[in-house]
Amino acid sequence: MRSLVSFVLLLLVAVVSAISTTGNRLLVVLDDVAEKEGYSKFLGDLESRGLTLSIETPKSESLSLFHLGERAYDHVILFPTKAKGLGPSLTANILLQFLGANGNILLTLSSGSATPSALVSLLAELDIQLPADRTGLVVDHFNYDSASAPDTHDVLLLPPPGPLRSDIKDIFSAGAPADQLIAFPHGVGAALGAGELLSPILRAPRTAYSYNPKEQSEAVVDDLFAAGEQLSLVSTFQARNSARFTLVGAAELFQDKWFDAEVKKTGGKAVKTFNQEFAKRVSGWTFQEIGVLRVNWIEHHLNEVGASNESNPKIYRIKNDVTYTISLSEWSWTAWNAFSVPKNDALQLEFSMLSPFHRLPLRLNAKQSTAEQAAYTSSFKLPDQHGIFNFKVNYKRPFLTNIEEKNTVSVRHMAHDEWPRSFVISGAWPWIAGIGATVTGWLAFCALWMYSAPVGGKKESKKTQ
Amino acid sequence: MSADTLQVLASAGKGESTRTILRFIILSLIAGAAIASRLFSVIRKCPLSAGSQLLSWQSRPSRRGQLSGLLRLSAFWAALLTAASFQVSRALFTNVGSPSLSQSCARAERQSRMVADNPLVDPWFNFRATKYLVANGFYKFWDWFDDRTWHPLGRVTGGTLYPGLMVTSGAIYHALRALTIPVDIRNICVLLAPAFSGLTAFAAYLLTNEMTPSPSAGLLAAIFMGIAPGYISRSVAGSYDNEAIAIFLLVFTFFLWIRALKQGSMLWGVLCALFYGYMVASWGGYAFITCLLPLHAFVLICMGRYSTRLYVAYTTWYALGTLASMQIPFVGFLPVKTSEHMPALGIFGFLQLLAFLDYVRSAIPSRQFQTFLWLFAGGTFGLGLAALVVATSAGFIAPWSGRFYSLWDTGYAKIHIPIIASVSEHQPTAWPAFFFDLNMLIWLFPAGVYLCFQNLADEHVFIVVYALFGSYFAGVMVRLMLTLTPVVCVAAAISASSLLDTYLNVKSPNAEEHPADDNTDGKKSGKTGLKSTSKPVVGIYGWLSKGTVAGAMTVYLLLFVMHCTWVTSNAYSSPSVVLASRMPDGSQHIIDDYREAYQWLRQNTKEDAKIMSWWDYGYQIGGMADRPTLVDNNTWNNTHIATVGKAMSSREEVSYPIMRQHEVDYVLVVFGGLLGYSGDDINKFLWMVRIAEGIWPDEVKEREFFTPRGEYRVDGEATETMKNSLMYKMSYYNYNSLFPPGQAQDRVRQSRLPEVGPSLSTIEEAFTSENWIIRIYKVKDLDNFGRDHASAAAFDRGLKKKKAAKKRGPRQLRVD
Amino acid sequence: MRFSQPIASALLLAAAGVAQAASSWSFDEASLSIAAKKGADGVKEKLNAKNPLSKPVALGSTDTLKVALTAKDNGKGKRPHQAFVILKEQDSGLEAPFPLSTKDNGKAVVQISQKEIPAPLLVSTKPLKASIVIGSFGSAQAYNSQVFEVEIKTDPSAPAPQFEKPLRYGQKDEIHHIFRADPKSPPKVISLFFALAVIATVPALFIGWLSLGANLNHLAKAIGAAPLSHASFFGSIVAMEFVFFMYYTSWNLFQTLPVAGVVGAVTVLSGTKALGEVQSRRLAGER
Repeated sequence: MRSLVSFVLLLLVAVVSAISTTGNRLLVVLDDVAEKEGYSKFLGDLESRGLTLSIETPKSESLSLFHLGERAYDHVILFPTKAKGLGPSLTANILLQFLGANGNILLTLSSGSATPSALVSLLAELDIQLPADRTGLVVDHFNYDSASAPDTHDVLLLPPPGPLRSDIKDIFSAGAPADQLIAFPHGVGAALGAGELLSPILRAPRTAYSYNPKEQSEAVVDDLFAAGEQLSLVSTFQARNSARFTLVGAAELFQDKWFDAEVKKTGGKAVKTFNQEFAKRVSGWTFQEIGVLRVNWIEHHLNEVGASNESNPKIYRIKNDVTYTISLSEWSWTAWNAFSVPKNDALQLEFSMLSPFHRLPLRLNAKQSTAEQAAYTSSFKLPDQHGIFNFKVNYKRPFLTNIEEKNTVSVRHMAHDEWPRSFVISGAWPWIAGIGATVTGWLAFCALWMYSAPVGGKKESKKTQ
Repeated sequence: MSADTLQVLASAGKGESTRTILRFIILSLIAGAAIASRLFSVIRKCPLSAGSQLLSWQSRPSRRGQLSGLLRLSAFWAALLTAASFQVSRALFTNVGSPSLSQSCARAERQSRMVADNPLVDPWFNFRATKYLVANGFYKFWDWFDDRTWHPLGRVTGGTLYPGLMVTSGAIYHALRALTIPVDIRNICVLLAPAFSGLTAFAAYLLTNEMTPSPSAGLLAAIFMGIAPGYISRSVAGSYDNEAIAIFLLVFTFFLWIRALKQGSMLWGVLCALFYGYMVASWGGYAFITCLLPLHAFVLICMGRYSTRLYVAYTTWYALGTLASMQIPFVGFLPVKTSEHMPALGIFGFLQLLAFLDYVRSAIPSRQFQTFLWLFAGGTFGLGLAALVVATSAGFIAPWSGRFYSLWDTGYAKIHIPIIASVSEHQPTAWPAFFFDLNMLIWLFPAGVYLCFQNLADEHVFIVVYALFGSYFAGVMVRLMLTLTPVVCVAAAISASSLLDTYLNVKSPNAEEHPADDNTDGKKSGKTGLKSTSKPVVGIYGWLSKGTVAGAMTVYLLLFVMHCTWVTSNAYSSPSVVLASRMPDGSQHIIDDYREAYQWLRQNTKEDAKIMSWWDYGYQIGGMADRPTLVDNNTWNNTHIATVGKAMSSREEVSYPIMRQHEVDYVLVVFGGLLGYSGDDINKFLWMVRIAEGIWPDEVKEREFFTPRGEYRVDGEATETMKNSLMYKMSYYNYNSLFPPGQAQDRVRQSRLPEVGPSLSTIEEAFTSENWIIRIYKVKDLDNFGRDHASAAAFDRGLKKKKAAKKRGPRQLRVD
Repeated sequence: MRFSQPIASALLLAAAGVAQAASSWSFDEASLSIAAKKGADGVKEKLNAKNPLSKPVALGSTDTLKVALTAKDNGKGKRPHQAFVILKEQDSGLEAPFPLSTKDNGKAVVQISQKEIPAPLLVSTKPLKASIVIGSFGSAQAYNSQVFEVEIKTDPSAPAPQFEKPLRYGQKDEIHHIFRADPKSPPKVISLFFALAVIATVPALFIGWLSLGANLNHLAKAIGAAPLSHASFFGSIVAMEFVFFMYYTSWNLFQTLPVAGVVGAVTVLSGTKALGEVQSRRLAGER
């Protein structure tokens, strides 16, 4: 029996060999190891994607994110804890260092337990505000699950979120069945700062708001923390080094009981939750399994007839015609695919010294593209200014790996023999003619001066002058 | 010779004994030269010696002539040798610690403190350029685009330098290679200046001989030229600078000009033009010639000395010389566009007019007509002048450049072009400098000029004019002491030699010789004869008087030589990269921070790390650390320098974006506070502020760097602007840690620093040299989590981020 | 009665459903007033839960907008947990909630002045849509509908409220910067004309000389006197011009200089003799 199970598991692992691009060592921090039963589906899901889980509690001595200065894990999931503090091994500083070392963090909160101060100050550094007193509850009197929370209204039901903006790929809810809803039970909402590194995945409905069950049980009068879409339920932060951090307001969202729960809005009919798929995508994104971009190669060369087209020369000349090509791939779950720029968006090339002289769209080049990688290319004429320029591709988008590629080339001035010859320039003809006239005149004068015979008194003196 | 031999010699040269030996050699040589010239004066009566061409003795059959010639020759080469060996000896003194290209001329302490204390670091660039030339050939050099300076603009080097120096040493290099003499280009560069100083002495000899028949004058001039500190300062071995060859070219061009003028020969005129072209190719100072020759011609004309000789000489020189000068890319069309060159053109036109009038006059001899013609000539000249003015104001001709104005009004630069005023050698000369640079010559000089007045031939007019303007300009700019030195040497030599001629005459003059003497002189060299011989009978009979005067003169000469040696070894021999100081016990202590820091850069930064520093150190960083710099000593782009000035003098938050935009990786500052090294950046700081203020008057204000009582302070009372400026922070960062609390002391400004030192958030200390002279900072990258550096630093220091202020005012909405 | 239980429960459920459907939040005796700072009382409107105000109300920079209402659950006043006025910017859809301070009897009031309205809403050109949301726990259905519009009147004398969109990653607009335009030549016709004019000077010069009686009669004599030197001298002059021409077309400096040197030497050597011959003729009074 057991052998059978193990065999099945083996098969599963063999079949589903998906793996993150940054490693597969996942640390799960639970208040109590026993709790993991509640998340068994979710964790199993992760394991089946090839991540190796190691489960710890904040208190355990053995817990340490770094070993000899190197990351001991590639990803961390923090589930809510009853404890006030997270202990010495999970301070805000260490977690920031972890992000700085390209580790990814999936942080879950719950209105049930106050958020540890370490996490609060971590979030503060990332410019994410939590409700005062580190606790809050999001309710919505319009979109709640009448099955499980007919009175408290604290299980929000939301349709799968669309794309954040029209020019951003929808990677969290694409292809979601229309009737399925995301259940967001007993969650904490956060308010995001204005920074560009932050972007919300799931925002509260217009009528939702967050309140403090202890103090504002009667009515929300003043110091309303946030309401409506300003209230972010699932938010992401991608650092400049593309390390990913996701804040999920409701840990229960990942629990088995919400994976296959039936929920119904008031007056609506009962539907299945989208939670399992949603949880998979959120965790997948956080652990660099989707939305990961890779630059395969960059190539630029002279684009002139007769000129040598050696790749990536160090130096060009002003007014050269140049072609620049960059090849990109996107990792989604199991493989590298050719990256396709979302519509309404553009991959742009800057040619800049101090400030960009050109900013041009890079177009897909079918010839050099394959299934694994897509080549984008652009051709243009260098500006008439010498200096040290940069080919810059600065493609940073929400939910996609930051791409900032800089190739420095020198652009030299015209060499003395590279100018158009003077007889090509029509404006120079009179001068050339002048030279010719002078030369003939001079030769003739020499001849005359030496070989001319006198013709009488006065003129000769003039001539010989 | 290779580096290590130089090293060995250097160690030898340092020894006191060698120095004394050298001194002795020099003394004996000078004495020998003087005696030899005495012997010539004995045989002055032989006609050929009057012209005193160098090798004329060969045509003399007589033993005596040969002897004299031989002696003269030996004495002359002795003089050359003196000069050359003197320079080389200096090379040895100089090479303390840096057997490679040593720096020339540490400025004497006479420079005013606040002035940018700018070491002559051009040699570094010249050396680099020469290496490039030798490696890549002439045309590559011609089209050289240097992408390691002036980042990110780059420098079209081939078109913005005077290639003469590099091409010269390149040619020498290849010539030696052709002779299968394997020599390192570096050694050529090191020894080029001394070698050319020998030639300069030669040129001075020739020039002086054009002025006076007395051959001793020439030799004296050669010797003076050889050891006058004013010239030594620029011809030290290793001072691989344009001036090294330019001074020789200057003097030699003048010689050729005089020769051409005297003989009215087109050949000499052509030669003059060629060397003028060479000069233009070598040094920006060519404008001195461009202005002096026309001036000379003009003065001659005004004296009514117009002659076909003048016409031929000048016209040939101007036509060919201008063409030659226009071949240099850097000069290009300036000779016909800028006002500096207009006098030459004007005189050229004027001469054509005169020639024409002359011709007409010769055709129609009529006095009134002549006068009318002269008026006509004057009128046209006036008209031409007016046209020039109009053209200038209309903008067809570029007005006088700022550098030129600063020659007339010493205050001008300070107000309008701080970037020029900020260079120490553009400061007005202090009086002691004259004595310091040309000790005894300074009082022989006027005497010589006076003697030139005595019989005023064309060439003497030249000396007079040259002396006049040379001394004026030398008074305006320290640097132009260099152009004064030659004429001083010539004039001084004339007077000294006339003195010696009179007093060192072995046999007393007796009455019957003199008539002969006179008339031989008369028919020999009419006007050009000079001094005692052409005067009515004058002679010194008493041995006593002879002895005293001669003795006094000898003493003076000895003193002069000793002075020169002293100045050379003390002022002009300390390479400014390596500072030498004396320990309490008198032993020499070498402070080598510069090279330490540059070595660090070379070894610890990536190949293309951009270094931001004040422009004084640009060439050094490029040469020694081999790293790209933002600005360097070639100050052609004021704005770019001002940008650096702004970055240095603004708050961190302001300068950080600038540094990011310019891709700066490291910032280098020079700080002398610990050592009392006065030439540091805090002392130059006001110039950075001024230059920046010139471009951004409303962002950088010099006033804000002074305390309300108008003091420039760095201690507790310093203004906030001062304390927050990047330069101040970088200089004093962590400086307190060296002292017991509250005891931090700046030894340059003699002031006690505040308790708490400045703190830096956008840059971090990367390197500090042994004596804290050089401090290098690394520019931080943007914060990984999108915070500003201040708060990021605060968090790292363990401060909790304070809660976002509870909503006073409207609620903050996030817009996606 | 094994089966009655489910039926009962079903009935109960139905009942509950009816009850839910019945109870719902709303408000009445609601008023909207705008009070200017300086006494002068502004607009005063009655609000209706069913249909919104027809025309927007104007809110000046010093005014305060006051909304007073009584929240009712199924007709009787009751304190709701959520009673917001929500201002919405029409283009961006940004919303700012303003909670009403409520009493137990359902009376609720809020005062809004421009100082409390976030900048992105202040700068909006269209009027802001104001909707009232009333809801609470339990089964009662919450109320939410748009009841009036506010037009922000910023005070022209005071500095206009500033709001620039924060940086968001996205595509930027393209740049095609021509740093320096290519130099232009005048029309070919003109340059041709002048070129011809210049060339025309040569014949003019020759004619002038001829009219002055220029000739080559001494050629024979000169050649006779010094054939080699004359030939080579004049030849070298021509050759020098040829060297220049080659330099202009193809040669570089290092090819040119030696050749020029050779030719120059020839010129000098032969020149002395040739010119000497010319001089001899002059001295002989033949010129």
